[in-house]
Amino acid sequence: MTLLELDGIETYYGESHILEGVSLSVGEGEVVALVGRNGVGKTTTLRSILQLTPPREGSITYRDEQLVGLETHEVADRGVGWIPEDRRIFSQLTVAENIRVAVPDRAAVDAALSLAYDTFPILEERQGQDAGTLSGGQQQMLALARGLVGDNDLLLVDEPSEGLAPQIVADVGEALAEAARDTTLLLVEQNLPLALDLADRFYVLDNGRVVDDGDAEEVSADSDRLRRYLSA
Amino acid sequence: MSRHQVRVLVVLALAAYPALYHLLTQSPVGVEAETLLPRMDTMVALLYFGLFAVSFDFISGYTGYLSFGHAAFYGTGAYFVVLVANGKIPLVPSGTPFMITLLCAGLVAALLAVGIGLVSFRLSGVYFAMITLGFAQVLYVFVRGLEWISSNPRDGASVSGSTHPEGFEVGVPFVDGLNLAIGPLSGDTVTLLGHTLGTNAVSFYLVGAVVLACYLAMQRIIHSPFGQVMVAIRDNEERAEAIGYDTFRYKMGAFVTSGFFAGVAGGLFAGFRRSVTPENTFYFLVTGDALLASIIGGFGTLAGPIFGHFFDESIREFLSPAGQGGGLLPYLQTRLSEGVLSAEVGGLTVEGFIEAALNGHASLYVGIVFVLFVLYVPNGLVGAARDRLGGPVTEKLPDRLWDR
Amino acid sequence: MTAVADPALADAGLALADATPGSVFAASVLQTGFFAGLAEFLRPSNLAGVLVNGLAKSALFVMIAAGLSLIFGLLGVLNFAHGSLTMIGAYLGGLVMVVLVGGATGAWARLGYFLVALVVVFAALAVLGLVVEVGLIRQLYDSPPIYQILLTFGVTLVLEELVRIVVSFYGLQPISDWQEALGTKPAFLARQTTLGPVTVRGLALFEILLGALTVVGIWLFLTRTRYGLFIRAGSEDDEMAAALGIDVRRVFTVVFALGSALAGIAGALLMWDPVWGASVPLAAETLLPAFVVVIIGGLGTFRGTVVGAVIVGMADAVTTWWFVNVVTWTWLPEVTVFLILVGMLVVRPQGLYGVEEVGGH
Repeated sequence: MTLLELDGIETYYGESHILEGVSLSVGEGEVVALVGRNGVGKTTTLRSILQLTPPREGSITYRDEQLVGLETHEVADRGVGWIPEDRRIFSQLTVAENIRVAVPDRAAVDAALSLAYDTFPILEERQGQDAGTLSGGQQQMLALARGLVGDNDLLLVDEPSEGLAPQIVADVGEALAEAARDTTLLLVEQNLPLALDLADRFYVLDNGRVVDDGDAEEVSADSDRLRRYLSA
Repeated sequence: MSRHQVRVLVVLALAAYPALYHLLTQSPVGVEAETLLPRMDTMVALLYFGLFAVSFDFISGYTGYLSFGHAAFYGTGAYFVVLVANGKIPLVPSGTPFMITLLCAGLVAALLAVGIGLVSFRLSGVYFAMITLGFAQVLYVFVRGLEWISSNPRDGASVSGSTHPEGFEVGVPFVDGLNLAIGPLSGDTVTLLGHTLGTNAVSFYLVGAVVLACYLAMQRIIHSPFGQVMVAIRDNEERAEAIGYDTFRYKMGAFVTSGFFAGVAGGLFAGFRRSVTPENTFYFLVTGDALLASIIGGFGTLAGPIFGHFFDESIREFLSPAGQGGGLLPYLQTRLSEGVLSAEVGGLTVEGFIEAALNGHASLYVGIVFVLFVLYVPNGLVGAARDRLGGPVTEKLPDRLWDR
Repeated sequence: MTAVADPALADAGLALADATPGSVFAASVLQTGFFAGLAEFLRPSNLAGVLVNGLAKSALFVMIAAGLSLIFGLLGVLNFAHGSLTMIGAYLGGLVMVVLVGGATGAWARLGYFLVALVVVFAALAVLGLVVEVGLIRQLYDSPPIYQILLTFGVTLVLEELVRIVVSFYGLQPISDWQEALGTKPAFLARQTTLGPVTVRGLALFEILLGALTVVGIWLFLTRTRYGLFIRAGSEDDEMAAALGIDVRRVFTVVFALGSALAGIAGALLMWDPVWGASVPLAAETLLPAFVVVIIGGLGTFRGTVVGAVIVGMADAVTTWWFVNVVTWTWLPEVTVFLILVGMLVVRPQGLYGVEEVGGH
């Protein structure tokens, strides 16, 4: 069953035309990877879904409801979570507060905290610390935890492995695989092995358009098919 | 119509204003004309303060650095002229021709701009605005407390009748025949073809000539390669730097130029009024008035602030308190019948209501107009006109202006 | 600013800046040079007096600046109307007191009525803030920030003129302090109180108390409530907060209303202080120090605002003491405050606790 459907969205930053008619769909329970070079519009696609940069044209339906025209927090209320590029944790809030703020239901805070600490034990050790004092890897864990505790049905994950040490990339991949068991993921990722390992399907974006898509398994065998879109 | 023609027309219209004002106020619609048209001394104020507003727009509207302490330069120019006339400035004696004093006033203000700029241009955005405001307020407080300036510095200073009784002369220095004095009382009158131009009308032309020269100079700079770099800095300072411009030097140059003309504007003000107070020179609300003029007229349009200030002043005078000539209140008081004025509505006479709503409360209406402009005409009068006429569209104020 | 009738003036600080040299205070001028002045200044009773005065000023500054800081932190709007809101709070608080308090009203009843005045002012200014935010500022969130600042500047012009009209209509002089409101203080606040070796104004102690309560109250609200958490998150990164399901626009409205209400209760307190008093120029008199405090502390950090207020308050108290007792430079306290601003911006532009780049955009 289709959870999210983008149909011909056109998105601008000021006067620059970033997305020129992007269409894609994500089925319930799927993990879909969105790949492509830097600056082709992957992050903008996620921002468009969240209505942070609302598309000027096209439609975005989520559970048969139109998202275009809603406020960002209304999109979030419908169960769409975001684990953004550069983490964007609240550096002046403590680790625990960063998690609290992501839980929509006041009564669910304690459960959310234990979920986060079970997934990333290091966060429990650091819970009283300002999040800005964490290392890069720990910040990424916090950003992931914040997305996981939000009781979301769809998670938009943007470059989760960027700038991380290999060991931590593995942890992150594990956490995402765990999350994928009961959450749908739309994953933007430069790290192709990681992306294709997690994903069921993929879309390739180039210059604001979808230029290729297919099953992750078939493309893993045919590595040249993606390389030409990804090398500079 | 080319922009050049528009400019000539505006200058001509201004030049014709004294005659027009004279004719209309003597005509059968004299009372209405006096109600609607700004008086001549208001028009003079419009010119020198307009020049100040233009100098404010020169730096703030074109480089994007909001010079919120710009009153410092205006005040410096104004106080300099008064202090020179009172013989308080070494090397510049009381009898120095006004044109030379004016030039010195601009230079002193420019020097001050060098000092303030060297420190302030290490910052940008809100911080730049606040540090320049800080400098201006320091000077404001100083000027209020410095007894060297006058016996009661809190109330400002006036040109002393003993050291400088004659009016300040605008013209060619050292050539008596080519000079005329400005000022509502101390200025010269001129009789031409049987018509006598009053002191205010003469001052209007003289101050107008200086203001026009300054405006043209600033306009030249804006349209020169230097000005293009200023705009490049406003639009994207990092890019301007990446192209290889030493943006700091350009910003300093623009700031000092702007300070110079603000100083000249202040000098004209002091020369015309012959007295200055801390409140009408150095105080931060003086910069606020220039900001008002710039927004209503159009930020980053150079000429806009003059129109904006004209608009502002016209409303203020139209709604000025009773007893200051012209304006709506005396008009209503003379024209409405006794019966209407004393009619009561809910325990309040019409006259009482008019008094309460109009008497000296122009700021209320100016404020409302200002808010409406910010909301609905963000490019100001001139900006909107240029957009409408399809002329060179004023670049939108960049978001970077106040980035934090 | 005020008549000298109030005994509190004796060491009231800034009001002295308005007294011309040679007036009542000339007698206390030592005029014996810097070192004699320093020795006098360092005497424990003088130091303690300066400390108490400094804390009282700090308390006032923190109350004036707290709302401005909250609003800037979250909305990124430098609210030029803040001083006007304080001024309106002063008049409104004065109105409540003048209506409720009669000549025979006892000191504790007056204090009780003052609490009523605080509640009324808080509610009224919150509503005013709400109207301004929803009616005007909200329309401009997508414009460059400068337009929001200009808008609040215009709002200031309108509010001040409206107050001027209303105040003159009731026969009050808008530019001088409202004496009748000053007179509604309980007697023990108007008197000098002796605390060990130090003699201080009763009002100074009251101001310190109220300032401390305000700081603790805001701090608890920000750190202990869920809404406070939303505000802090939104201040750092409003996009991320929205993406986590927080209705940031509504938080904006609440914070603007709250900030306005804080400005108002600061005004209500100033209404009792003969150094300030309810008058239309109070708007500009409070706006500038509020800017200085907020910038010194770092725009939009509450902790910074508290520290900034203490720095400015102490510097003001110290320089005021020197000006009253040793030197005749009337400009010393005010110039010092702005020099601290300039110095801070040169050394550390982001302020004491400011973060250089706010938000991860």
